[in-house]
Amino acid sequence: MLFESVASGLELFLTPLAVSMTLLGVIIGLLIGALPGLGPLMGIILLLPVAISLPPVAAMGFLIAIFVGGSCGGSISAILLRIPGTPLAAATLFDGYPMAKKGRASDAIGIAITASAIGGLIGGVVLIMGSPILANFASDFAPPEYAMLAITGLFAIAIISGGSLVKGLISGCFGLLLATIGTDEFSTGYRFTFGNHNMLNGFHIVAVVVGLFAVSEMAAQIMGRDLLKKPEIKIERPGFNSIFLTLKNWKNLVRSSSIGVFFGALPGAGGVISSFTSYAIAKAWARPDENYGEGAEGGVVATEAANNATVGGTLVPSLALGIPGDASSAMLLGALLILGFVPGPILFEQQPDMVGGIFLVYLASNVFLLIAGILVTPLFVYILRIPKFYLIPVVLLLCSIGTFALQASVFDLMVMLGFGLVGILFRAANYPLSPIVIGLILGPILENNLRRALLISREGYWIFVDRPVAATLLVINILLVVGAFWVALRNRRNKNQLSKA
Amino acid sequence: MTFMKNLKTGFAAAAFATFGAGAAMAEFPERTIELIHPWGPGNAMAVSQIIAKAMGEELGVDMPVISTPGAAGTKGQITAMQRPADGYTVFDGYVAPLVLQPVLGNADWTYSDFTPLHAAVSNAFAIGGRPGESRWSNFEEMMAYGKANPGELRYSSGSRNNLPHMVIAKVLQSYGVVAQNVPYTQDGNAVKDLKSGVLDFAFVNVGNYIQDKPAFNIMLVLSELPGAKASYDGAPSIADLSIDLGLSGLAPMGWTWWIVNPDTPDAEVAKLRAAMTAAMKRDDVRSAIEAVGFVPLEWDHTQYDAIVGPVAGQLGAMGNALDWEVEELKKLN
Repeated sequence: MLFESVASGLELFLTPLAVSMTLLGVIIGLLIGALPGLGPLMGIILLLPVAISLPPVAAMGFLIAIFVGGSCGGSISAILLRIPGTPLAAATLFDGYPMAKKGRASDAIGIAITASAIGGLIGGVVLIMGSPILANFASDFAPPEYAMLAITGLFAIAIISGGSLVKGLISGCFGLLLATIGTDEFSTGYRFTFGNHNMLNGFHIVAVVVGLFAVSEMAAQIMGRDLLKKPEIKIERPGFNSIFLTLKNWKNLVRSSSIGVFFGALPGAGGVISSFTSYAIAKAWARPDENYGEGAEGGVVATEAANNATVGGTLVPSLALGIPGDASSAMLLGALLILGFVPGPILFEQQPDMVGGIFLVYLASNVFLLIAGILVTPLFVYILRIPKFYLIPVVLLLCSIGTFALQASVFDLMVMLGFGLVGILFRAANYPLSPIVIGLILGPILENNLRRALLISREGYWIFVDRPVAATLLVINILLVVGAFWVALRNRRNKNQLSKA
Repeated sequence: MTFMKNLKTGFAAAAFATFGAGAAMAEFPERTIELIHPWGPGNAMAVSQIIAKAMGEELGVDMPVISTPGAAGTKGQITAMQRPADGYTVFDGYVAPLVLQPVLGNADWTYSDFTPLHAAVSNAFAIGGRPGESRWSNFEEMMAYGKANPGELRYSSGSRNNLPHMVIAKVLQSYGVVAQNVPYTQDGNAVKDLKSGVLDFAFVNVGNYIQDKPAFNIMLVLSELPGAKASYDGAPSIADLSIDLGLSGLAPMGWTWWIVNPDTPDAEVAKLRAAMTAAMKRDDVRSAIEAVGFVPLEWDHTQYDAIVGPVAGQLGAMGNALDWEVEELKKLN
């Protein structure tokens, strides 16, 4: 049935306009994603008025390609500048930036683009083959399951914390506390807003991420001794050998893409969680000699494959159920409606050629991403040759423009600068920054779904045991806690034995 | 020296003449006009983008839509009204921040504190359940079940204390049915949980309904307008109930009326009104709005008080329904 849809959509897609708009969308997406602050959502919002004046498949190709390119573009600035262009790439800098420091920036970007494209293609295959099954699974994923999954996600903090678990947990708790700021969804009361209307919806996640990573990184660069020096970096052109480097990590690639599709198919979960989770799992399963955190190729593969596969996953509930998986797909659904197509089961029944056309533009976007990404990458890599004296003010200016563009708000700029200071202090004290992002994103998912589940339940906390998927996740969470304690106790015992010997 | 001084004076005079003349000749609008939208990205924002694009074309400038969600839309409204009153900021005045939140005591303004441009769109709600439900088959039977089992029913109106919540609470209060409201950040997730059996009933908008008609049993359309009933294929509406809820016109529906700061100069307001009126009359705009499941509205600024006034009055009169729900649930616990 779905193969027939794809075949019938071929005619709609294979027009010069649809193909060229898809290619243009990928390039615009890559650029928007690479600029700190702007991301795929902002790209889709800005270009929606252009898209709706195009024929349907060309319009959707343009917007989906921006989504795909934007989800990958953030990795470029993460690798080159240690600044995630979008929150989606916050986990990419763990290994991407160390790779660049070792003179492998081209390889790192090449791997990021290839992993994104292949992850996206795997997401596309799942989209075509497994939409009905995944949509059914997503339908049954209710507040109790989301609450348990958010707790599982928080365990990622333990793995990505690097040196000190306690410091990682403190950062994570800081993120969870930040997540409580704003209007409480249940009582509709205001929490920690201090009478300031700008804080009624909490802090904007992008302003926080740009501040934490970009501003603090630029401050760290200013404090370096090579501010005026022209970097003597040998830059190799990235080539299609990145594909082989990526495919060497094929198990990681498939696993991370699957995780990405899974989180994408769950409305509200999103690419940030999927990229951090994939990274944590890849690191936990890696051999010690792979040296995650010091420039491991697998680290870049895991995060980038996951966040682009999430795009494919997100299209499952969006198209099959008419329920947007995230804010970007909500705008895609709006565009689809304006173009005269109603997403949901009826679309699959009555306009299979349009469904096929959308599947094809998504697959084509990922192919174009691979080709255009690798061809365009050299332009980005030359950023490394710019003396920091020029680079730092330009980056800070771009950060400010991107953050201001979110809500045309000066308050967001102040948030960015404030969190820049927080980032500087955390770095100085050697506290990791990424757990703050995890806490900030998972906090509302955990709190709201826990409270929602208890409102739905007629037997209090038993709702987490009565539902099979929630119960399974609960058992996994308990095993993870018990396992963590067991490992900690064993390490302490070994340490004591060594000190006695 | 004298030559240099004369040269400088000459340049200064030329520059003054150029920029001064430019400023005098400048006509509104010279730059982009921003529309502050009080909700997150989604169908409502897409509809606002349709109108903003057309209005921008009429004015000859871009009109970007800025999503500023928070506090049931009041964050966006405060943000918009704190901008300079120069006509370069327009607010997407949805009923929740414009009328409902002031009625609930969460905002210190009234609808009459603003200058209207033109009515934009409306969106009728309905109470939907699942087809094949064994406990009831229509709204009256569900109310009988709810009355016999206080606190047993679970429902969602999307977020809490919004218009659908207030209207549903009023309906439940009228029937003496105590049910548990479950708030959701995204309306789509509430609809998903209704379909999967987690919720007993939920508010459904036309967009949700047309996406998957067989998945719903539309039990009650929350509007007495014939057009709203037709949007749900003739499902029963509040006009068919045996009780009078005291709701008519736009009162039980979602709608938006674009407004500006009352201090905006008349000339700018006149241009904005003319552009929005022209945009709302365009066939391409109307059909695009209808495709998303919203209804384009034809009222101009002269009808603002006559249309919005009764809505504010009716919502004010039913203001205790939300408090009643909270109190009754407390008694059951």
